[in-house]
Order: sequence, then structure tokens, then C-alpha cells
Amino acid sequence: MNKADLIRAEEKKTPKRTIDVVRAGLAKRYRAEGRFKLYGLGAIIISLLCLAILFISIVGKGYPAFQQTFIQLEVFFDPAVLGHENLSSANFPGLVKKTLRNMFPDVKGRSDKRALYQLVSTGAAFQLREMILKDPGLVGKTVSVWVPADDDVDMLMKGHFDRKMSESGGRLNNKQLAWIDALSRQGKIEKRFNTIFFTSGDSREPELAGIGGAASGTVLTLVVTLILSFPIGVAAAVYLEEFASKNRWTDLIEVNVNNLAAVPSIVFGLLGLGVFLNFFGLPRSAPLVGGLVLTLMTLPIIIIASRAALQSVPPSIREGALGVGASKMQMVMHHVLPLALPGMLTGTIIGMARALGETAPLLMIGMVAFIVDIPTGFTDPSTVLPVQIYLWADSPERAFVERTSAAIIVLLAFLIIMNAAAIILRKKFERRW
Amino acid sequence: MAKKTVLLATALVFIFVVSTGVVNAQSARDYISIVGSSTVYPFATVVAEQFGKTTRYKTPKIESTGSGGGLKLFCAGVGVEHPDITNASRRIKKSELEKCQSNGVTEIVEVKIGYDGIVLANSNRAKPMKLSRKDIFLALAKEVPDPKGGEKLVANPYRTWKDVNPSLPNIRIEVLGPPPTSGTRDAFVELAMESGAKKFDWLAALRKKDKKAFKAVAHTLREDGAYIEAGENDNLIVQKLDANPNAVGIFGFSFLDQNTDKIQGSYVDGVQPSFDAIASGDYPLSRPLFFYVKKAHIGVIPGMEGYLAEFTSEKAWGPDGYLADKGMIPMPDAERYKYRADVAKLHVLTALK
Amino acid sequence: MSPTTLLAALLMLSAAAFYFGRQRAFAIAGKAGGTRHLHSRPTYYGLLTALWCGIPALLIFVLWLGFEDKIITNLVIADLPNAIRHLPENRLNLVVNDIKNLVTGNIVAAEVDATMQAGAAHYRSLQATSNAALAVVALSLGIVGAVVVRSRISRTLRARNLVEQVIKYILIACSCIAILTTIGIVLSVLYEALRFFKAIPITDFLFGLKWSPQMAIRADQVGSSGAFGAIPVFLGTLLISAIAMAVAVPVGLMSAIYLAEYANRRFRDVAKPLLEILAGIPTVVYGFFAAITVAPFIRNSGSVLGLEVSSESALAAGLVMGIMIIPFVSSLSDDVINAVPQALRDGAYSLGATRSEAIKQVVLPAALPGIVGSVLLAVSRAIGETMIVVMAAGLAANLTLNPFKTVTTVTVQIVTLLVGDQEFDSPKTLAAFALGLVLFIVTLFLNVIALKVVRKYREQYE
Repeated sequence: MNKADLIRAEEKKTPKRTIDVVRAGLAKRYRAEGRFKLYGLGAIIISLLCLAILFISIVGKGYPAFQQTFIQLEVFFDPAVLGHENLSSANFPGLVKKTLRNMFPDVKGRSDKRALYQLVSTGAAFQLREMILKDPGLVGKTVSVWVPADDDVDMLMKGHFDRKMSESGGRLNNKQLAWIDALSRQGKIEKRFNTIFFTSGDSREPELAGIGGAASGTVLTLVVTLILSFPIGVAAAVYLEEFASKNRWTDLIEVNVNNLAAVPSIVFGLLGLGVFLNFFGLPRSAPLVGGLVLTLMTLPIIIIASRAALQSVPPSIREGALGVGASKMQMVMHHVLPLALPGMLTGTIIGMARALGETAPLLMIGMVAFIVDIPTGFTDPSTVLPVQIYLWADSPERAFVERTSAAIIVLLAFLIIMNAAAIILRKKFERRW
Repeated sequence: MAKKTVLLATALVFIFVVSTGVVNAQSARDYISIVGSSTVYPFATVVAEQFGKTTRYKTPKIESTGSGGGLKLFCAGVGVEHPDITNASRRIKKSELEKCQSNGVTEIVEVKIGYDGIVLANSNRAKPMKLSRKDIFLALAKEVPDPKGGEKLVANPYRTWKDVNPSLPNIRIEVLGPPPTSGTRDAFVELAMESGAKKFDWLAALRKKDKKAFKAVAHTLREDGAYIEAGENDNLIVQKLDANPNAVGIFGFSFLDQNTDKIQGSYVDGVQPSFDAIASGDYPLSRPLFFYVKKAHIGVIPGMEGYLAEFTSEKAWGPDGYLADKGMIPMPDAERYKYRADVAKLHVLTALK
Repeated sequence: MSPTTLLAALLMLSAAAFYFGRQRAFAIAGKAGGTRHLHSRPTYYGLLTALWCGIPALLIFVLWLGFEDKIITNLVIADLPNAIRHLPENRLNLVVNDIKNLVTGNIVAAEVDATMQAGAAHYRSLQATSNAALAVVALSLGIVGAVVVRSRISRTLRARNLVEQVIKYILIACSCIAILTTIGIVLSVLYEALRFFKAIPITDFLFGLKWSPQMAIRADQVGSSGAFGAIPVFLGTLLISAIAMAVAVPVGLMSAIYLAEYANRRFRDVAKPLLEILAGIPTVVYGFFAAITVAPFIRNSGSVLGLEVSSESALAAGLVMGIMIIPFVSSLSDDVINAVPQALRDGAYSLGATRSEAIKQVVLPAALPGIVGSVLLAVSRAIGETMIVVMAAGLAANLTLNPFKTVTTVTVQIVTLLVGDQEFDSPKTLAAFALGLVLFIVTLFLNVIALKVVRKYREQYE
């Protein structure tokens, strides 16, 4: 037996050392590690890609709505047309028509005139009315006014209509196209920033429709929801997680909370109808009721997330606090709650995001409605942004398509602002141990 | 300490808001409250907006709840918490009228406002379909007369339009239409399917003999995927048609009117849907729209008379009115005058004919 | 004093009472030789004073306002002329509405006559009296409460315990809201559901294999195949939710792991909020996305592969829904994984584990209860989602598990049945309530099981 054989025999006899086993598998394990990391990154990239696609499609469709075509009219506030006594109910549409006739004096015939009148929005008359009511001294003077163009003209100017279609049943006929071309040669038609979209309430005329009312309703509703659901949700979670003894009663509450999270949102609408409207007699279509219903809907989400956050606070923190003589309440309030707050805020963000985008429960309590006047109080009739989006998405007029997307952009802006606020808070509290 | 202050402040704000809610909840109603059909909604809102912007009254609030939900709310009673007007895409039912009366809503004024055309349409990229009502019936009924002849019914065997009628294109039957809860579906079944079924002599005979059995045949749409219940969002149907040139959609005329660059109306019995064809009655598929007014609220809720007058004025529902611009088909002159007179007199609906 | 200002005043008073009580505690402690001689910290004495000042006064405030309107209205009615007073109840209500409109300065319907004016004036004066009385009562109650508590502050007063007691009751009340909500839901659904079961036998509903509510809308029509078997509807819900979860759980969980364990701080700070935006995009948008973009894509790729895909496939709706609920899984799981103590990871590393091994074998099991919670939440959302399915999956209730076919879900049926044009008392509408009730019971049952399972595997690590 030589030495080499001896060693080989020795190796056969003694078991392999652990380190060798580890080393042998190391390359494979590192590869698995790399793959695992890649999966994670891949998952995030997929999600962000979806987000990007959605954003691009929304913004791409919606940004033209931030502009609106206006037509310049030289309006002579003719006392003969307006009359003298009651200016508020004077014939302003007639004034608009007369102005248009003056601009195109060679238009004859009833149907041609009608076609001409269709170039400007019906809102032009309201605009003139407001000017006169603000300054009655304008009667008898000539003023140059930019009034919104009709939605069809607007769509044409934005390139959504094919000019070739015009005679075969398009929305605008050839004469109208000629007039529009004449106007644009004179510089009397142009696209401007669409302030109407941000300031006014709903309208059936796309060029006059705005999200002011819906946005205001959303703010009012969400204020109610946030103010009620966050404290109540956190309080409920704290009680269930920290104080309640584990018995049937708390089990019941826990199952209940989880179950409520799965209840379809429209059922909360039925609840709101039955309890808040019929039993408590609160007014229909009010942000107060909407907020209450959305509170009940978001509560389970906040409670579940808050409980998860409380559970993840290590016992050592609690024991430490109790050890230096804190009462249970002090331990929770001073030590556990601040540490759990980031998780609770995450839950609240998600819950509020859901409340922000919800339509179905509001249907039953009358918030899926046409509301022109902008709500200012918690009981004024109002609607919210997702409902506005839903209603516009269902409107036949083509111009509502881009306004729908624009309203979605605004809703997302709302969402991002809310998230940003919560993230700042969360970063303040987040900690790792 | 700081946290406690924050907590305390939150609690205080919370109580504040709840209580302000209670305080505000008592204010009175000074606007008209309207509920009802999503089909009438686009027309009623135009009138409401005109009314709100040209008078001193507030713009009425119009909810889109569906005809059934609207009538339920409407019939719940008299008083500020109940709506003043409900829109309906069908007539009020006897049971609903009784429900109203038992809840104290005894005086209801019925107003018919015009017609809504129901169109079949497909993408512009395909050829227009030239259908007859018999074709529609054969393509969409769940059970059709045996193609081999004889007076018996078989499960609908037709796969393509060509199977139904050799002059139609050889593409799979795929029709997107409203669900059974929709008034549009109800009217479509009545107007298109029923008269299609009548083209078969023995079914027409059956109708005279056993109306129920006939309707069971004519009113049941197939459920094997050829007829797709696509929900109430008609814009979505339009977009789906644009994406799928082989499909045919069923929806209200105003959506065809607004999307003529994407879709085209199918000929029904040789007539293509157009405003004039529907108004003159040449195009066979259209259905009436209504609203119902609580007489007890007139003179008590601000602006009721004004709203009714605005709705029934020629500039609104006349042939050249703004409702026609939005795609509603006006009633013939005589009918308009009758309903205007009824509204002016507040003629109460007593019993259904 | 208007109720709003009174409320503000009450809150100010409570705040004042807080300092008042704390001051008193400091004073007593000063005499006794430092705050350590008090039973509780001075803040608690302040809080106790504030609570006793604020809570009774606020209770009175709320109750008063709750009944004020009713009482004033009755008083005004009593003073109206006989002719109006004897109108039927609901007519009278309308007259009162007009008077109130007059009071608040809104536009009124009829011409304003003398009676109305008198009524309105009466109403106004009563309201003023009532408000003044309320202000006096509430404020004095608050002051009395504060003074009484202040006088009782002593070294041995167990202020902390008393305050904590009150807080605990508030916490209990908050957690009971969930129970009340459930009761409310059951009550608001039960009655109509029972009416439905009177028309349709409950066994037909629960075990029927055919869902086709093609019932008559009008009386003279014949509802041919009005079948109300709920199984296809529930199966459809299950199918779509399963597809959604198949997307959301892997993607969401892997995202959460990457964010919590691998990503650097900057990346995480950007990516996490971005992901959360996915949950907030209105479902209408997802619906359009699913119906216009995803569904035709699936249909076309299906036909290339020779599969027959319906243009309203469950797959399209499920996929898009999955994207929507990714943040439910990722964000909440991320928080939970983040909260696993670093010591556990360090322990695993010190034994030679790679990062992924430490995650898979140590961190994830430790975070499991939270992850399960987040997944449950995501499932709940999937079951409750409506708009995406309405737009992308259609309404046809096929009894199938084939993801390329059209299916429908419970929520979609509820919505379409409730907002339809049919008569409200027909079984068609009532079916919505029955579906809601059964869904409620089914999810309750699932949650009980989930609770048991989670409880069994739950471990607390340190």
C-alpha cells in the first residue's frame, strides 16, 4: 500500500466535512439566490409596467380635455333684442344667434342658419347673461367675447373627426367646416386652457361640463370618511389586539371584521339606504351619508391592516414598557402604537384609495346623480369623482371620452396627493429593529 | 405628550364633524329631486340644466337609478324626503300604481316625452347588415321553428348569419345587447323578436290561441353565447364593436348618432335607422319614454311648474328642440299637444288602460 | 349662539379645563413635594377634568339638537291656522318644508302669504330661544363638571385609572361598530331576501345549476326561463377570483419580498407608493382597459393558437383584477416582512444561509400571519369587485371552469338586478338581496375557517 492509496482509504472512511458539502452546493445556492432576487425585481417591474401602461393610456386620452376651443364673437348688446325691464330673463340665445348672423351675413335658409348656430355652445348665452347681470352698463355697447365652441367643433379642432366623413353622416357638414375654416383664418377660433373643466359642475354639454362639483363632493365625502374611519379603525384594532381577552366574543368580532371586508360594496349601499336614510332620516345624495357608508366600507380594511401592524411589534417592546412600570394603556399608547403607525397608515391609504374610487355603494344612497350646483356643505346634494367618471363614460357625446379620461387624471392626482401625505407621515414613524 | 395632544385634537375634530353633520341635517329642500331610468337620464338632464340656468330656481337633482328603483323611491310616499318626479323607460305597472296609492301617492301625472330608437349596428369596417325582423328572430331566439319544416321548435341551430339567411355574410352570430333587467331589452324583444316570430304562420296562429306560449317562444333569447349580455354601458358596446368588426350591437339611437364615424346602423326590414326614419315610423324599432310627477308636490317644492313647462315646451321636445339634438325622437304633433295639455291641467293618472 | 360656534366654545372650554386640572395637580404636587407624590402624572388630572367637562356637555348638545327640530316644528304647527293644521300628515310636511325654506332664506315654491311669514317668524324665534338655552345649559354643565372634578383632585385621586377606563370604553365602542354593521347589513338584506325565497324555493336557488333571470318585466309578458340557480354565479365568482389571485399573490408577494429585503431605501421609497397607486385607480378605468385592450388581445392570441376564446372571457377580467389587487398583497406584506426582527435574519445568516434561504425559511414563516391577512384582504376585494367584471366579463352565467368562457359574478348580478328597469317587487330584483345574503354567509363561513387556520399556524417570533 502506498501513501496515495492510504489517503484515499482514509477519505473513504471519514465522512465528508460539512464545509465541503456546503462548498459543493454553494454555486447552486448562489444561482438560486440570484434567481430569487430576479423574480422579485421582475414582479415589481411587471407591476410598474402595468401602471405605466394604464397611465399612458389615461393621460394620452385625457390631456386634450385640458384645452377647449373658443370662438371670438363681437357681441353688440342690442337693447332691441334684450329689452329693458328684466335683463335676467332676456333673450340671450337670440343675441348669440344675431351675432353669428352678423359674422356670416350670407348665410340664408333655415337649416343653414341652424347649422351656423350649432357652432357655438349653448353656454355662450349663459356667459353673456352673466356679463350683463354683472355690469348692466354694457347694454348698447359692442364687446369682443371668447365663448366656448360646441363640442363637435372642439372635437374637429382636436383632430378627433375625420373631415372626409363630413358628408356621409359625420357630425359636421361641409358648410360648417367652411365656416370653421373661415374663423380660423381670421384668428377667431383657438384652443385655450380649459378653466371651465376645473371650476364648473356637471353639464350635459361636454364643453360646459366640469369636475368642480364632483371634486368638491369628493373632498367633503372623504373628509367625513377619513375623520371617522381612521380613529375608529385604529381604536378597534387596538382594543381587539391589545385589550380584548381571547374569547368567543372577540373571535366573533374578528371573523366579522374579516367578513365585512369581503362584502360587495353595493351591499354597503343597501345598508346606508336602510339605516342612514330610512331610519335616521338623513338627506339623500349628501356627502355626509356617502362618507358614513364609505367609512363602514373602509373600516374593515383599516382594522385588518392595523391589527397586522400591531401584531408585528415585538413583544420585547411591550415587556420593556411594562417592566419599567407603565400601565397597559401607557404601554400601548406610548410605545406600541407609534411603532405600529406606519402599517396602520398603509392600511388607511389603501382603504381611502378604495373609498376614493368607489361607485357602487353610492348608487343606493342617491349620489349617482346629475348635479350642477357645486356642493359646499356636508348635506348639499353632491356626487363624487368616480361617479362623475362613470356617468360621463356612459354619455353618448364623443367629447365626453376625453373628459372622462381627464377626470380620471384629476382623480389620480387626488390619490397621489393623499398618498404623498401619508407617505411623509409613514416615513416619519417607520423603523426597523 | 405630543402624541396625546395629537390624539386629543383628532378626537375633538371627530366630534366636531359628527355634530356639525347633525346640525346641518335639518335644512330643508329647495330643489327638485328626480330619480329613475338611465335611458331617460341623458334627456332629463338637458332639460334640468336649461331650467336651472335660465330661471332663479336651483338645478334639479337627477339620479340614475333604473326605472324600477326610481318608481320604488317615487312611490314611497309624499313629502320632502321622497322624490318629486321619476323617469321611466317603460310605463308604470299596475302593481306599482297600487303601491303608490297605498303609500298615499294618489295623484300622479303621467307625461310621455318622446321615443328612443333601438338600433342594431356593426363596425364601419364591415358591410352593413341588411336584416329583416324574421332574421333577427331566427338568429337570436333560444328556440326556433325546425328549419327542416314542420310545426315544432328546436334549440337554435344557426351558427352564422348565412345559416339564417343566405343573403347575409358568412360570419359567426355575435350580438352584444342589454341584459334581461333592461327596458331596452324588453322593448327590443317586443318589437323585433315578436314580430319576427309572427312571420311564421303557425306561430302567429299560436299567438291567437295561446298568447303565453307564443310569448315564451318569442321573448326568450338564446343563452349559448351568440347573444352576449353586455351590460348597460352603451359606449362600451360601441367600442367593442369597433374592436370586433364581426359583432353586432343593440343599443339606443343616440349612441349611433354620436359615433357615425365608427359604426353604422343595420337595415331592419330595408330601413336604416336615422332620425327621420324613426320619427316617421318607417324604422320599426322604437319605444316610448315617460316621466311621472307627484301632483301633491306641485306648488310646494320650488320650481316644479317651471320644470314641467320647460320640458313640455316646443324648444325642448319639439322636432327642432334641443332634446332632438341629443337624439330623442319627438312625438307626432297631436300627441305632443295632448300631453302638453295634460300637464297644464295636471291630468291625474287614475287607472292603466 | 349658533350650534357651530357653541361647539367650538365647548371644545375651547374642554381645552381650558385640561390646563385648569393640570395646574391644580401641579399645585397639589408642589405642596406635597414634587409630582412623584401624586398617584398619576399631572396630565392625567388635566385629561380627567377635560373629559368631565366635555363629554356630558357634548352629549347634551347632540341630544338637544337631535330633538330640537322635532319639538320646534311641532310648536310651529300648533300655531298654524286650523285649515293647515288639519291637512294630512304628509301634506303638512310639505308646508313645513316651505316654512323652513323661508327661514333659511331659500327660494320657496308658492307665494309667501301672511300665515307662512308668521310661521317662519315663529320658527325663527323659537330656534333662537332654543339655541340660547342650549348654550347656557351646555356651557354651565361643562363648567360645573370641570369645577367638581377640580375640587376633587387630590394626591390619592386615581386619575390615570379613571381616564384609562374611559378610553377603554371608547375603544370597545369602536370595535363594536363592526358588529353593528353586520347586524345592519343582515337586517337590510334579510327582509327582501325572505320575500324572494317565498317566490323561489330556497333549494332551487342554492342548488340550481341554471341562472337566467329572463323574467317578464311587464305583467302581460311571459317570463319564460326564469331560472334562479345560484351555483353558476358563485362558480363564476370563484373562477375570476382564482385567476385574479393567481396573478396578484405571486407578483405581490415577490414584490413585497424584493422591496423589504433587497431594494435599497431610495428604490423602495419610490416603488412602494407607485404600487399603491394601482389600488387607487378607479375600477371603471380597469374595466375599460380589460374590455378594450386585454380581452381582444386574449381573443386574438387564442384564435392564433386555435383555442376558442369568447370576447368576454373570464381570463381578461381576472388578469386585470389581479393587477388591481397587487398592492393589497405587496404593500401590506411588505410592512409585515419589514417588521420581522432583524435578529432572526442575522441568526439565519450566521448559520450560513443565503439571503433567499433566510427569507424563505425564516422571514416568511415569521411573517405568515400578516401575509395571510393581506391575501385574505385581497381575496375579499376580488370577490367584492364589480365594475371590471361588468365591463369585461359580461353577464352570461355559464356553468364552467374554462377561463376562456364568459362567466358572471355575484356582485355583477346584484348591481344589474338592482339598477334594472324591472319592477322592484319582482323576484328579479329581490334575487339581488338573496345573492347578497348568501354571499355574506358564504364569506362568513370561509372567514371562520381562515381564522382557525391562521390561529393554528400563528407563531410569534422575537
